[in-house]
Amino acid sequence: MRAVIMLVLGTVLSALLFPPQWYPPKLRFTLAEYFGPPAAVSTPNSTMMAMPELTEPMCPEDLLGWREAQIIEGVSIAATLACVADNPYAIAAFVKGTNNVSTDTLMRAGLTPDALVKGADLDGDGDPDEIHIRLEIAELNGGSPDSQEPTAQYAIAPGITPGMWVFVPKSFGMATENFDSVIAKELLRSPSPAIRVEQGDRVFITLENTHYLPHTIHFHGVDHPFLRADGEGNDGVPMASELPVEAGQARTYELTPRSTGTAFYHCHVQPQSHILMGLQGMFIVEENRPNNTLQSMNIGAGQVRVVSQASREEYDQEYDLQYTDIDSALNNIIQETNDPARIQDWLHGGYNLASSHSDYYTVNGRSFPYSYRESLIVTEPNERIRLRVLNAGGEGLALHTHGHKATATHLDGVAQAEQSQVTRDVFWLASAQRIDLLLNTSNDGTHSYGPGVWMLHDHTGRGTTNNGIAPGGNMSAIVYRDFIDENGWPITRGEDLGMFFAPEFYRRDLRFGELEPSSAWSLFLLLRLLGFALALGLVLASIVQILMPLVRGRR
Amino acid sequence: MRAQGSLRVCLLVALLGIANTSYAQHEAHEQHDQHGDSHQGMQFDSKGMVMNSNVDVLPQNCSAISEDLAFTVRAGTDYAIKNAGRIFGFSQYEFRAKPCARVTVTFINEDQVRHQWMLHGLPRYLYAQGMFHLEANAGETVSGAFIVPADDATYLVHCDITQHMEKGMKAQFIVGAGGEQLWSVPSVTADFNIEKRMPYGAYMLIGIVALISAALISFRLLGKNS
Repeated sequence: MRAVIMLVLGTVLSALLFPPQWYPPKLRFTLAEYFGPPAAVSTPNSTMMAMPELTEPMCPEDLLGWREAQIIEGVSIAATLACVADNPYAIAAFVKGTNNVSTDTLMRAGLTPDALVKGADLDGDGDPDEIHIRLEIAELNGGSPDSQEPTAQYAIAPGITPGMWVFVPKSFGMATENFDSVIAKELLRSPSPAIRVEQGDRVFITLENTHYLPHTIHFHGVDHPFLRADGEGNDGVPMASELPVEAGQARTYELTPRSTGTAFYHCHVQPQSHILMGLQGMFIVEENRPNNTLQSMNIGAGQVRVVSQASREEYDQEYDLQYTDIDSALNNIIQETNDPARIQDWLHGGYNLASSHSDYYTVNGRSFPYSYRESLIVTEPNERIRLRVLNAGGEGLALHTHGHKATATHLDGVAQAEQSQVTRDVFWLASAQRIDLLLNTSNDGTHSYGPGVWMLHDHTGRGTTNNGIAPGGNMSAIVYRDFIDENGWPITRGEDLGMFFAPEFYRRDLRFGELEPSSAWSLFLLLRLLGFALALGLVLASIVQILMPLVRGRR
Repeated sequence: MRAQGSLRVCLLVALLGIANTSYAQHEAHEQHDQHGDSHQGMQFDSKGMVMNSNVDVLPQNCSAISEDLAFTVRAGTDYAIKNAGRIFGFSQYEFRAKPCARVTVTFINEDQVRHQWMLHGLPRYLYAQGMFHLEANAGETVSGAFIVPADDATYLVHCDITQHMEKGMKAQFIVGAGGEQLWSVPSVTADFNIEKRMPYGAYMLIGIVALISAALISFRLLGKNS
């Protein structure tokens, strides 16, 4: 009898304490008809997003005056409005040759005397045609047997440091800014430098393999013989032409390109990983002109500060834009272990490219917001700008020019006849494709819609995210002079871009509202649920009490 | 002539500070200030470079040179073969000297790429950026000298090309009784980051032993009850 009372009590209590939000909607309507809708309950508060503290300036001050127009070693270097500009001494050395500049300039450039040797004028037109370039390989954000932090750090965006391998010009001294810093010096960065030679130059490129794994250089789209003059392989493909260059060894590639155009160089060892690790760069063959001024290397690609004669004739400015994508699951393997054999295990078998996808997208080695520091295209109205675009990544690139329709003058380095040149606002580049775009900033309603801050980015969904968080990825912009401040930062009318410089933003650590309800309400709900559970327990216990005698009795 | 030479050297070292600096430009200013009256020797040519070589200026706490030492160090991938998990190596990973010793290092690079013998932690009033630095191009030999201070200390020696220290080119230079030992000096001290590798079958072994012991214990307890 007592058990029956307990059962009834338990049932009534559980019915009363049953959380109302779990009632079926129909019942809730019916109840509301009798009792009216329940009183308002305040929902969790949303908060104004707490602005994270800026740990670095959006646009660092140009203390050394690298942005200004200047003449070094007789080389006239154009001004740039990029927040972070290339070292003008290195630019001068790349134009004159490291063998033709003073020790002082080399010291300021950080380059060795044999990094880029310019020799004889073979065709007698006033510029050197024998070019010997020495490239080393640097590992950025690499592992260490001791440290828990990556070594020789290079952040593509605030707090994002995927492991990378890059070709770098031959430099001297420390790999970091100084002994107390873990940040890589400015010559060691992604992407590998854009290399420029003249049509018909005798070019020697020596790969001094300073890395611990074997590598090669393959010149994709550049006229080069399969074998060198001495019969050694020259194509950089281990499967077809030669053995790779082992750690600590060197090999020289020889080419005398007959055709011009924007091309691509990359390592061809284990191409499923080495290219995407960052061993990729632009290779440009310029038209032969008398007294040509070639900036043989463009560190980090981007604006060409000293343009070629041919470019000078037709364009007001020139930019190298190298797009790529990064899968941190691949790139961070080098941070997991210090043992090269283990790294090789992971690259070969542990990582499966066929079942992976990229999470970071860069333009000239940076993702938004850092891309705004280096890769803005700054223009006056009525300029003709040459954009050499390479998609070196594993995914397609749908490059969209807001406010402009550009014209594709060259495809994979080949000039297109005028009637077949396409003018549009989204250009699709499959992996390894190059397109040279003419960006005309005349406000005519087609080529340009007028001055402003016009985004320039990949229109595939992921391309403008950092690991899925927008804004990020390979975002840059076409910015008119009236819309940029004297430091080179765009004068935008929208959000405060400062919040994107907080590493927490891309770590998914920012909260836009309180996820938990207020504590009093939570406590009430919790107590009510506890009561409901106790009442259910009472029901169960009384059922057992009632059934037990029956079971025993049968026995 | 000599004064002019050392002035030029000071300038070069100061410029080196600029070359190695990008965003952290304030660092460059600090480095400039330290070079007021230094006595570095600098060689920078097709063989490589020698930075802060010093044969005659004593550190502040030394009254005389205690001993003259000469080391010949060879560098290259061949010297890493005996150290598992390393690719680059030196012929010697540990150096010892008395306080106030004058040390001459001859650095022979047997590879076809650059290598360095870079020592850190020397007094900055005497050695710009606190370092003594030898850098040899492929197949080249460079040499230089430095005088160590009187304090017992262990200095880091390495090649600062990216990953060359991590992959084997790390040594320690011990003066007197030395200071704290460095980690991960090949064939001398262990790596700090322990490889997460377990012996084959480790997890299965742990599982089986745990199950057997659980079974034994529960049988015993059940046995007592009945």
